Amino acid sequence: MDVKATALLKLIYLEMFGHDMSWASFHVLEVMSSAKYVQKRVGYLGAVQSFRPDTEVLMLATNLLKKDLSSPSPTTMSLPILTLPHITTPSLSLSLLPDLLPRLSHSQATIRKKTIVTLYRLAVVYPETLRAAWPKIRERLMDEGEDSSVTAAIVNVVCELGWRRPQDFLPLAPRLFDLLVDGGNNWMAIKIIKLFATLTPLEPRLVKKLLTPLMSIIRTTPAMSLLYECINGIIQGGILDSVDGTSEGEEIASLCVGKLRGMIVVEGDPNLKYVALLAFNKIVSSHPHLVALQQDVILDCIDDADITIRLRALDLVVGMVSSDNLMSVVGRLMRQLRNSPASSSSDNPLSDRVPRFDVEPMADSDDEDAEESLKPGEKRSGQPPPLPDDYRFSVIQRILEMCSREMYANIVDFEWYIDVLVQLVRLAPATGARTYSQGLHYGLPGGESGGKGYDISENVGSELRNVAVRVRDVRPQATRAAETLVTAEQKEGAFFSVGNGGRGALTSAVWIVGEYANLLLDRSGTLSSLLSPSTFTFPAEILSVYLQAVPKIFSSLVGSDRTPWTSERKAMTALLATRVIHFLEPLASHPSLEVQERAVGFLELMRLASEAISSQQASSINEDFDTPLLLSQAIPTMFDGFELNPVAPGAQKKVPLPAGLDLDMPINQNLSHILRLAEFDSVMDNAHDDFGAYYNDKPVAQGGEPAINSLNEPTSETQSYQRGGDESYLDPTVLARRRAERRERNKDDPFYIGENDFTSGTSTPLHNIHKNSNGDELDIDAIPIVKLDLGGNDLNLASDMPRKPRGNGRSGRAAFNIGADENIILEGEPLDREYLEETEAGLDDVSRPKRNRGKKTLLQVDSSGLGTLSLASNDDSANDGLMEVQRLRQEEEQMAKAMKEVERLRLEMQRASERIQAAKGVPPEGTLVKKKTKRVKVTDISGDSKATRKSAKEGKDGQEQSVPKKKRKKKKLIHGDTEGLVASSHS
Amino acid sequence: MINAILVFNNSGQPRLTKFYTQLTTATATLKPSLSPFSRSRRNQDTSVQQKLISEIFALVSHRPPSACNFLPLPPLLAPPPSSTTTTTTTTTTHDDDTPSLLTYRHYATLYFILISTSTESPLALLDLIQVFVEALDRLFENVCELDLIFNFETLHAVLGEMVVGGVVVETALERVVEGVRAQGR
Repeated sequence: MDVKATALLKLIYLEMFGHDMSWASFHVLEVMSSAKYVQKRVGYLGAVQSFRPDTEVLMLATNLLKKDLSSPSPTTMSLPILTLPHITTPSLSLSLLPDLLPRLSHSQATIRKKTIVTLYRLAVVYPETLRAAWPKIRERLMDEGEDSSVTAAIVNVVCELGWRRPQDFLPLAPRLFDLLVDGGNNWMAIKIIKLFATLTPLEPRLVKKLLTPLMSIIRTTPAMSLLYECINGIIQGGILDSVDGTSEGEEIASLCVGKLRGMIVVEGDPNLKYVALLAFNKIVSSHPHLVALQQDVILDCIDDADITIRLRALDLVVGMVSSDNLMSVVGRLMRQLRNSPASSSSDNPLSDRVPRFDVEPMADSDDEDAEESLKPGEKRSGQPPPLPDDYRFSVIQRILEMCSREMYANIVDFEWYIDVLVQLVRLAPATGARTYSQGLHYGLPGGESGGKGYDISENVGSELRNVAVRVRDVRPQATRAAETLVTAEQKEGAFFSVGNGGRGALTSAVWIVGEYANLLLDRSGTLSSLLSPSTFTFPAEILSVYLQAVPKIFSSLVGSDRTPWTSERKAMTALLATRVIHFLEPLASHPSLEVQERAVGFLELMRLASEAISSQQASSINEDFDTPLLLSQAIPTMFDGFELNPVAPGAQKKVPLPAGLDLDMPINQNLSHILRLAEFDSVMDNAHDDFGAYYNDKPVAQGGEPAINSLNEPTSETQSYQRGGDESYLDPTVLARRRAERRERNKDDPFYIGENDFTSGTSTPLHNIHKNSNGDELDIDAIPIVKLDLGGNDLNLASDMPRKPRGNGRSGRAAFNIGADENIILEGEPLDREYLEETEAGLDDVSRPKRNRGKKTLLQVDSSGLGTLSLASNDDSANDGLMEVQRLRQEEEQMAKAMKEVERLRLEMQRASERIQAAKGVPPEGTLVKKKTKRVKVTDISGDSKATRKSAKEGKDGQEQSVPKKKRKKKKLIHGDTEGLVASSHS
Repeated sequence: MINAILVFNNSGQPRLTKFYTQLTTATATLKPSLSPFSRSRRNQDTSVQQKLISEIFALVSHRPPSACNFLPLPPLLAPPPSSTTTTTTTTTTHDDDTPSLLTYRHYATLYFILISTSTESPLALLDLIQVFVEALDRLFENVCELDLIFNFETLHAVLGEMVVGGVVVETALERVVEGVRAQGR
């Protein structure tokens, strides 16, 4: 056994390194049952590390656990107590609960506190535990003379339970309050505060009581953790909100914020910085002004060496940004992005285009090493630490978020914003760089880290497009920015900083260039850069946008009617057209269908155009020719429709339903009736009516009469069906008779194929349905066409604009008119509040169940059962719980009694049957079989008895029921029937 | 509560792993609990543990000592993206069962990691690690990595005195040491 224990210990060690040891679970059990404490301990350790609730040998361990729980030695006793939380299952909890409960009043404090916690863990898997255990735990808590560490353990457990069912713990508040005030244990105080934070929303009166002690703790405590938790509790418990407005509220708010500020500034401890930022983050949504006061400190944190702190600060900054500080904050972030080298290959010479201040050329240092070797303290002078791509990613995202919030409410100067966007494109991290291992460094706070090769520059691009579309005043600038992006990309190939970072922005840039081609500075230059051969290397999504943009620019370049159609112009246009055709031709066989389709379409168009160009004579001095119509009229109209406006995401939904259109209503009320009719028709009316219908309808259609007229007469049609039989169609005998008659009649008719009359009739039902269903008058004009209210929003915004504080007035531009989303506004109903709610609700509906299931992340405990358990009327229900336990025990006893009875009867019968068999001289196999059946039967009985217990019957009933069953089975087996054995053993 | 306590050295070799809640992966829960599968599931279980350790190690090893002792969640523990995209800000403040806090401390050659839910106080957890290490120091007199390797049973015993089932039961150094000594190491 000693050897075994040692081997097991080694195995446990190996398990830590990822070697599976589930195969050894039986050996673990063996060592657990050893009499020596040292070996036992190893066994229990093995159980803790390797057993799971689904381990099979666990069932065998129950008795061992029971035995050890009642061991005289406290050290032995604590072993199962420690182990239970790791392995327990509902059934194990149920059976061990009676053994565990008395341990709550054990003489040793260590046992008591461990038992309390173990009971809590049992309750997580088996909520009924709590019902029995709670009164005792509560008693312990209320006991003033109780050992302090036991009280602390109880508080810990209550805190864990607290957030699940806070209302049940309100009665404990006075005691907890006392503990908070005069308990010397910081750890416990923290837990109590945490618990109170969940209780205060339920009991507003608590706030008043809590304020004074909390304030005094905040003022006096030397322990930072307690201080922080006090502040946190005040924030989380909504105390700050509930006292808002009063002088007290002011006081506490300023006290908290002041302390938090102190934590950031004075201490210089990164941990305190971190938690302080966390706390600020919690206030920022409700009290942005308080946080904004601390702007300076927080902004310093953005440049902190520790990226975790930076990220927190970044979160915070997004919350507190306003139109006043936006530019400085963004500027700061941009500087950070620019100044620090990219963490991956930035030896790309082109990235030098990005202005860097006092940064050594990166070529000399391998950047991978740079990151590795960057141990703190040996930070290279003058060079900020390299930023991981994930961080860049998140910074860029935050910048966009800050700027675009509430329809650019914070932006004063859009030209500045466009400039920022263009720079961001250049700074965007490479797409491919977000590999898995790098993703590790930054568990980004959002879900944005999902997806391979997600390109942040796409977001930047779409922001640029947004601005171009919405803000008419800066559209020229935006277009020009897009132009520079496009042309620069072309000229320099890999213009963008790293890899293909920033490429995502091209899509939008190219779209802008195409859409607002008239605003371009250098149209032909842009066009030629679009047409350059390097374009072909782009992925299909970008290419398809290119394809769309090329003809747009072409048309704006060529289609102007003002310049005369001179021979130079002709030559130039022809040249351009050829170039475009040349560009399109290879793409017409592009593997991507989207690209191919667009390319083929435009290719034909351009061929037509070039034909038109060559056929149209150039005007000379004496003769004046127009520009070919195709170029001046046809092609431009393809693109020059209405100006595109942004459309709100819900607008489509809001197009009101035309009055009287009810999509849920069946088009024809008595559809089923018609269908049935049609069926009958196909079955029986072939003879005359089908013909009749056919011949009757045909002339109508040919007569040029409007179809609608014929649609109005379904009744006559149905009458014609009914002509045949006035008696019930539903009578199958009549039906069959008629069919037989008909068949007889048509037997010799060459137009009928005897048996196939079913199929021949199939056209009729459809025809019929069609007719009847259109019976309702269909009036196309009646569908209302809704006028989109476009002006309203713009006006509103425009009137809003001047109120906004203007920036430093760098640009003399008047307030920008930001185009809002196009939406349909129905009699003054609030903009898209409803839609948002709707979608939110929708999302909730969709995501709730998913989240509930998907929420089960790693390491999570499923304690949903606990939430449903009520401790509300603690004493009663607890008594009930006790009663329940007792009742169960009684039942079990009865069960056992019944089992014994059954066994006795069985044995008697067996003896009797043996006698019979002996008389008959059955071969010895028979007895063998019987022996086997004995075991089988016992299990059988227990199964039965369980069933009976479930149906809440008395044990005796179960006994009576199971006995006859037994008899039956026995008889079967007595015949030496091996099949019977097989069957019963299966059962 | 505390979900797991991990100790590993500077090269990422685990020295102590203690999971107070089961590692439940989506794949593991999807599989029916048929007995033939349990072996492979267990294999997967341990491999998930190893993966988690290596992920955390990757996070931790790059951090300078001047950085704060809190880590962002590793990808394995990160909340599923679907829920965070819909409600980005609201979920963070709620108490729930999901591990949301990664606290670590670095002593000489060893990293001590605590994974816990939001019901624990981050700063208090740092103190807890401190108590743990001090207790070890008391028991071993000048504790070093080798002590932990050869007496890892004691390591577990210390933890057993301090944390039961993920809930902290004792934070007083004296009592912890006493308790372990009583067990007779």
